[in-house]
Amino acid sequence: MKKLFMAGLSTALVVSLAGCGQSGGSAGASNDSGKKVTISFTWWGDPTRNKVYDQVIAEFEKKYPNITVKAEPTSWADYWTKLSTEMAGGNAPDVIGMHADYASDYARRGTLLNLNSYISSGVINLSDFPQTVTDSGKLNGNTYMVAQGVTTSGQIYNEALFKQMGVSAPTMNWTWDDFVKDATALKQAFVAKGEGTGHWGVDDESGEMQPVFEYYLNQHGKQLFTSDGKLGFTVNDLESWFTMWANLRKQGVIPDAATAAQYTGASVEQSLFANDKVGITAIPANQLYLYQTQMTNTTVGLVREPSTAGGKNGEFVEGAYLAVPEKSPHPKEAAEFINFFVNDTGAGKTFKIEQGEPGSTKIDQIVKPLLTPTEQTEMSFISKTLSLAHADPYPPKGNDQITTDFTQAAQNIAYGKMSIQQASENFMNQANSILAGN
Amino acid sequence: MQYLRNAWRQNAVAYLFLAPWLIGLLGLTIIPMGASLYLSFTNYDMFDPAKWVGLSNYIQMFHDPSYFSSVKVTLIYVVISVPAQLMIALGVALLLNRGMRGLRIYRAIFYVPSLFGGSVAIALLWQQLFGGDGVLDQILSYFGIHGINWVDSPSTALYTLIVLALWQFGSPMIIFLAGLKQVPIDLYEAATIDGAGKVKQFFHITFPMLTPIIFFNLVMQIISSFQAFTPAYIVSNGTGGPLNATLFYTLYLYQQGFTDFHMGYASAMAWVLLLAIAVISGMLFLSSKKWVHYGE
Repeated sequence: MKKLFMAGLSTALVVSLAGCGQSGGSAGASNDSGKKVTISFTWWGDPTRNKVYDQVIAEFEKKYPNITVKAEPTSWADYWTKLSTEMAGGNAPDVIGMHADYASDYARRGTLLNLNSYISSGVINLSDFPQTVTDSGKLNGNTYMVAQGVTTSGQIYNEALFKQMGVSAPTMNWTWDDFVKDATALKQAFVAKGEGTGHWGVDDESGEMQPVFEYYLNQHGKQLFTSDGKLGFTVNDLESWFTMWANLRKQGVIPDAATAAQYTGASVEQSLFANDKVGITAIPANQLYLYQTQMTNTTVGLVREPSTAGGKNGEFVEGAYLAVPEKSPHPKEAAEFINFFVNDTGAGKTFKIEQGEPGSTKIDQIVKPLLTPTEQTEMSFISKTLSLAHADPYPPKGNDQITTDFTQAAQNIAYGKMSIQQASENFMNQANSILAGN
Repeated sequence: MQYLRNAWRQNAVAYLFLAPWLIGLLGLTIIPMGASLYLSFTNYDMFDPAKWVGLSNYIQMFHDPSYFSSVKVTLIYVVISVPAQLMIALGVALLLNRGMRGLRIYRAIFYVPSLFGGSVAIALLWQQLFGGDGVLDQILSYFGIHGINWVDSPSTALYTLIVLALWQFGSPMIIFLAGLKQVPIDLYEAATIDGAGKVKQFFHITFPMLTPIIFFNLVMQIISSFQAFTPAYIVSNGTGGPLNATLFYTLYLYQQGFTDFHMGYASAMAWVLLLAIAVISGMLFLSSKKWVHYGE
């Protein structure tokens, strides 16, 4: 019986030791090349996208036989929750997919590895990256993440729907006035045909702080956030933004509050746009292909975000990035993997424009001839608008919470619970107090 | 000495078999609870070391409008859904207790919703039923009522979740049924001889005899209702919207902890919830002396 007890005890010990092995056990082994090393890699994606990533990983393992990559993909919805917990526990994967909206929350808390030394030593080669793209991965002059692909935002429209309704379609360089005019005309055409209920000109984008409101601010020479982490606009800017949308709502050009709320965060195939219920909606340009695949009965057109007459360009660089946690036991291998992902020809051919235009201009040239017609449209749109784009400052800590408050403010107006002035002032107070706590 | 060694041997076996549970209790309950109590007095964002801030997390709750709306939403949910659910459960149990044909099948059918009621699929189904263009909306449109989006209107969203809770009356119902079977038949026979009707029998025999079961169900349902999370999380896509109408206490706690990185505040919220449930349960136990009859 005593033997049995000891056996049980030792099993328990082994189990508990294995639990903390992840961070402690393998720390010393990393930098000796030639030794077998396993790194883990997490990204957000659906099964279709995951296949592409798996292929890139397979090619990497072929070229670096001493490094094994463990894939840990998660859906976008669960990605950030899971990552924050893993980061807090110090056992996050060695390479992680990063997004500018979240990067500040991680980088500013000192959880991402400063990649400068790997760039200067040539482990990560950014010589084929345009300066704006490199800069978009920097915070306070240090590089914390490397772009897998960069994109801009635009408005897509349903070509067949516009034709059918006899309304002229949006044009590439339209203004906000054109936007209001086109969307209103489409709604009126619906009403004239007796399809007024359940059809609208455009989605309700009033609550989309990033990117649509950010474009609007940039055009007015303002910023969403300043580089020292304050709000870069005034309550008047916010009021005029909400007023434009409130007028559209009053005329039935955008959906009512409840309908808009119901479709917020809907997947592509469930969205109002993909079901021909609105004619226009805002997307990151690299998703054009997703909508076109879903909507087989029409062509989907992509134009710039509306501009402000006489204003500046609103475009700023968005995209998906790769980063390494500060606590990774294998930073060198992680850096090698990132370098392979963004610079290797084979990886580029496999990954193509899954996350937007490749960061490296060399890969860009290689990928271009391989694209389908829709992907080509997407690509030429991104290249065209990227040339107008700048790198906006990283959002400060608490960005996520401020985004939620912004959506709330927009909804309070939409549901008629608050006046535009009340909701705007309320938001400014909330956001300022969050930022003051940083 | 020999005796002691024997005793140890015997106990060792017991501890060995208890070990999985003991390890679970320590590792998954006691230690995390202690940690969360400590964290509730700190400013902790899960990355930087926790900073001691005293009571400020607890004080902050009094200045947080979203906190108050989460308390209000949760109280409305508990106060309406618990009594209503118990009444439905008791009603159905009384019906099913009358020895009818195919009783087992009915019992199973009424119990089924409780098995998957808390699941993601059902919460999604609810969105389809009560959303704009949903099934309810289409049925109402035959009667000329148009365009009410029950799930996404701030004034009705919470009530669709209450309906979802009511639909899951299965487990209290099964317990009521078991309780009803325990009531001695001779009581009813005596009452019938004395000329008491069905209604009188219910209030003078069935109900008093059932009070321990009612008490048990009441406590269990209140505790679980305070902790309701999944339906609101799924139906509102994790936002607690529209306009905080479904921001349950636990959902707000989750948002604070895992999306806004305020783990200290979230821990403080968890402890306030624990205390609130303890106080309410304690009051129920005190009151039970007045209305719960344990047989003889």
